[in-house]
Amino acid sequence: MNLDSHSEMLLRQFRELRPSLQQIADEACRLLQNALSEQGIYITAMEHRVKTEKSLAGKLELKGAKYRDINDITDLIGLRVITFYSDEVDKVAALAKRIFDIDWQESVDKRKLHQLDAFGYNSLHYICRLKTGGPRFELQMRTALQHVWSTIEHDTGYKGDVKIPSEYKRQFSRLAGMMELMDDEFSRLRTVLTDYRRQMLALVKSGKLDDVPLSQETFRSYLELQPFDRLNHRIAAVNQAEIFPVSMMSYLPVLESFGLETLGDVQRFIDENSDDAYQLALSHLAITDLDILSSNTAPQYLCLVNVLKQDGGRDGLKSLYDIINGENDTNYMLADLMIEQAKNLPFMHKLNLR
Amino acid sequence: MNVTIKEQDGNMVAYLAGSLDTAAAAETEKAMNPLNDVEGKDIIIDCTDLEYISSAGLRIFLGILQNAQEKGGHVYIKGINDNVRTIFTITGFSNIFEYK
Repeated sequence: MNLDSHSEMLLRQFRELRPSLQQIADEACRLLQNALSEQGIYITAMEHRVKTEKSLAGKLELKGAKYRDINDITDLIGLRVITFYSDEVDKVAALAKRIFDIDWQESVDKRKLHQLDAFGYNSLHYICRLKTGGPRFELQMRTALQHVWSTIEHDTGYKGDVKIPSEYKRQFSRLAGMMELMDDEFSRLRTVLTDYRRQMLALVKSGKLDDVPLSQETFRSYLELQPFDRLNHRIAAVNQAEIFPVSMMSYLPVLESFGLETLGDVQRFIDENSDDAYQLALSHLAITDLDILSSNTAPQYLCLVNVLKQDGGRDGLKSLYDIINGENDTNYMLADLMIEQAKNLPFMHKLNLR
Repeated sequence: MNVTIKEQDGNMVAYLAGSLDTAAAAETEKAMNPLNDVEGKDIIIDCTDLEYISSAGLRIFLGILQNAQEKGGHVYIKGINDNVRTIFTITGFSNIFEYK
């Protein structure tokens, strides 16, 4: 590489500066990571690097005369934050404004630079400085899709020496438009889903359970209201048992298999079957000294009672155990045991009289 | 109550034989204690010769499971007889464990 004496001088300055540049890059990265974590912003990746000597030499060969001093070059240190959604780029930018000093003369929002007939899909670039001083550094903020665009653009050599025919420029342009649209649509979809979740949680909390469809998310929120606690404590009282907390989410597919569609349906299912579920649990536990029960005990007995009341018989109970325990032939043994224990209980007598 | 722990095919296997009732619990817990130090291996509790399990026995199993899960490990129950499976079921613990 042929460098003039000015560029050689800049390169020497760079060599002297390099250890401190690495420290600043690490510190800036640490500050940004802490700020993102405090704000609960999840990103896909954060990268930081100090420019290599080879890369700097290439830059100086092209436009070394433009820089009076090594400190005029603003991308010796580069940080890149890649977000999931386009609106998060602005959140990261807001954080950067708070924790760094921004050189507004040099910073560019490349997202706003495009002409109507231009193409390309770029990110937000800030030239920053630590609040404690030191050389400037470049912070690039972009979405995952913008990053994909940028990487592919680089790989295809689109910005290389060879002039791209307009036919191919148009193809790039179409793709860039599509990716921009995808970014916006992903952001919009996330906002809509967040609103929907918020709305469902509010309905659960206000007790309007009939308006809340049964789903993984709503059932999880419903469980926070501890709907099975009363029955669990009633059953546990039989042997003064300890209740060992476990996840009850495994009962969601069972409840769905019963055709329950809303949390209101689940609440009625509990209310209508609790006494019979208690009787069935009592028939098993009272003759033992078992004094530890899982918090799944209540939903399990409620489901068993429901199958028995629906006249599901041996096969119905086996299917229920297949969902709870996984398919297994010993589930027939458990089904037979339940039928045997339940046959003298009042709710079974009522069924037999029908 | 007999407990034998062996490393087998890259897993730690505990063979239980006898009746894990309240009287045998303390001794069994002590014998099974090395399973709490297992890292990077799955634990198999072979219950083929386990005749009965009490609440105290369930607590030992749950302790081993919790410990293994905190380290990202798995605990499998093997060869469980109908009597022990019934106890797991009526106490609501049947789907807490994985079975081989």
